[in-house]
Amino acid sequence: MALLLVISVIIASGTGAMSISPLQVIAILLNKMGIHLPVPYTEGMENVLLQIRLPRILLAALIGSGLAVAGAGLQGLFRNPMADPVLIGISSGASLAAVAMIVCLGGVGSYYLLNTISFAGACLSSLVVFRLARQSGRTLVAMLLLAGLAVNALCNACTGLITYTANNEQLRSITFWLMGSLGGASWSAILSLLPFIIIPVLLLPFSAKALNAWSLGEREASHLGIDVRALKVRIMVLATLAVGASVAISGIIGFVGLIVPHIIRTLSGNDHRNLLPDSALFGASLLVLADLVSRTLLAPAELPIGIITAALGTPLFIFLLFKYKRTISVAGA
Amino acid sequence: MIRVDHISYRAGNRRRKILDDISCNILPGGVTVLLGANGAGKSTFLRILSGEQSPQSGKVWWNDRPLHAMAPAELAKRRAVLTQHATIDLPFTVEEIVLMGRYPHYGSKPSVRDKDIVMECLKEMQVAHLSGRAFPTLSGGEQQRVQMARVLAQLEGAGDKILLLDEPTSNLDLLHQQLCLQKARQLSRKGHIVIVVLHDLNLAAQFADAILLLKQGRLLATGPTKAVLIPELIRQAYDMDIAVLYPEGYLFPIIVPATNKKQLYVNN
Repeated sequence: MALLLVISVIIASGTGAMSISPLQVIAILLNKMGIHLPVPYTEGMENVLLQIRLPRILLAALIGSGLAVAGAGLQGLFRNPMADPVLIGISSGASLAAVAMIVCLGGVGSYYLLNTISFAGACLSSLVVFRLARQSGRTLVAMLLLAGLAVNALCNACTGLITYTANNEQLRSITFWLMGSLGGASWSAILSLLPFIIIPVLLLPFSAKALNAWSLGEREASHLGIDVRALKVRIMVLATLAVGASVAISGIIGFVGLIVPHIIRTLSGNDHRNLLPDSALFGASLLVLADLVSRTLLAPAELPIGIITAALGTPLFIFLLFKYKRTISVAGA
Repeated sequence: MIRVDHISYRAGNRRRKILDDISCNILPGGVTVLLGANGAGKSTFLRILSGEQSPQSGKVWWNDRPLHAMAPAELAKRRAVLTQHATIDLPFTVEEIVLMGRYPHYGSKPSVRDKDIVMECLKEMQVAHLSGRAFPTLSGGEQQRVQMARVLAQLEGAGDKILLLDEPTSNLDLLHQQLCLQKARQLSRKGHIVIVVLHDLNLAAQFADAILLLKQGRLLATGPTKAVLIPELIRQAYDMDIAVLYPEGYLFPIIVPATNKKQLYVNN
């Protein structure tokens, strides 16, 4: 998995308006670390790679890993392989906040402000969902899912209402933002996103054993000595961090959080100790490649990456549904 | 020994007491069976004995330590619970499920011994041949045996233990009902505390060394099996007449409904 990520990063950094061979990519990167390879490259190549491509690729990798690991964690928490960050209202809360801001300020304004606002929206909606599902100190998982669906629907309705009142120019900004894009990539964007992704990616695997036991059931997990209350809070907080920050920077990029953990499940099983780190790595690779397609397919124009992931993800998802149906019918036989 | 000291439990804000001032001693070395009609409070009592729920008044002592003050991690090594209706939706393999029983005993990696224990427990419950199968694809009875194997794996280790089984035989065929309760009896003979909720009075007659009989949250009777499984007490507990028959050549009695005796035979 780690190897796959390295390979996709190298391929993606070499492809674009200016072609750079894989060897040259490696040479430029190692040169920065003080290792000189006897591979010739131009200064232009170095600039393109370090200033334009690399930030974008790293951003894709960060967001991909964040969305995928959050998806894997949430699927574990809901004991439902169909759960997705979008489903429990985190993403829609973020996009409602962003859309509201675009319309109120009459334009995108500063990206920094937009990110902050939409991240706040994500946290707020996830907090609301969590409060709704809380009953005399306990959090009911089924309620969490239902509250998430409700908040999701409400946010979408509000987003629709605001969109309805927007003028043409605002509409274009909104649509583009909602479809998701990595166009805003820069080293400063990466730095602001880094902690929000790294912390969940590194910390979620520590809950892997607890999540495994959790899949036996809430009481059964507590009989195995798992602090189930802390587990629920931990997963929700870490997933919100990753998803909220990702949506804030790049808009809604669908299906990564749903599809990636699924693919890993079919490859290496359900043990969260493999599932969580592998999802992060594979999610990163997948989004780097999807972004590669999005910027080369119609070059020099750019296809929103949300369209690519949905277009690739939907057939895969339907295929998985059919496979899932088969296991169910085997179980019923 | 578990000493239950005047415990009471009310659900939520309702007035009705689910458990009402229960006191008893539960001894190791034999199987204790918890009997009672639906809604008598068996499951709640089991939850309190597992440490999962605290009683609103009264205390539970295990070897002179308050059970509800023990750390969850320590309790997890020494107390295992087989619950009812445990469904698992994620397709974990049987082996992974049983290995989860060892979670309280290891940090990040299971030892060779942990894996040996898992294999041993799978064999004991006769599900070793299913070890690679996805749990949701098993039949109800197979799932229950895998869960039992997981619970047994959790208790493997030094020290005295508590095993709590909530209707462990509900999905099992005749042979595996016997196998499961024999295993429970074996563990109790090693000096552990074994408490089983049962609905089948005949299984209770066969396997119980002591019986706790609950009725509407109160302890109706407690004592050795022979003293509790008598028509008078069972009629009170279940609101139904029964007869206890002692077939010649068998070690334990058979309990049958005594209402409309003749009609019952005609219909069947």
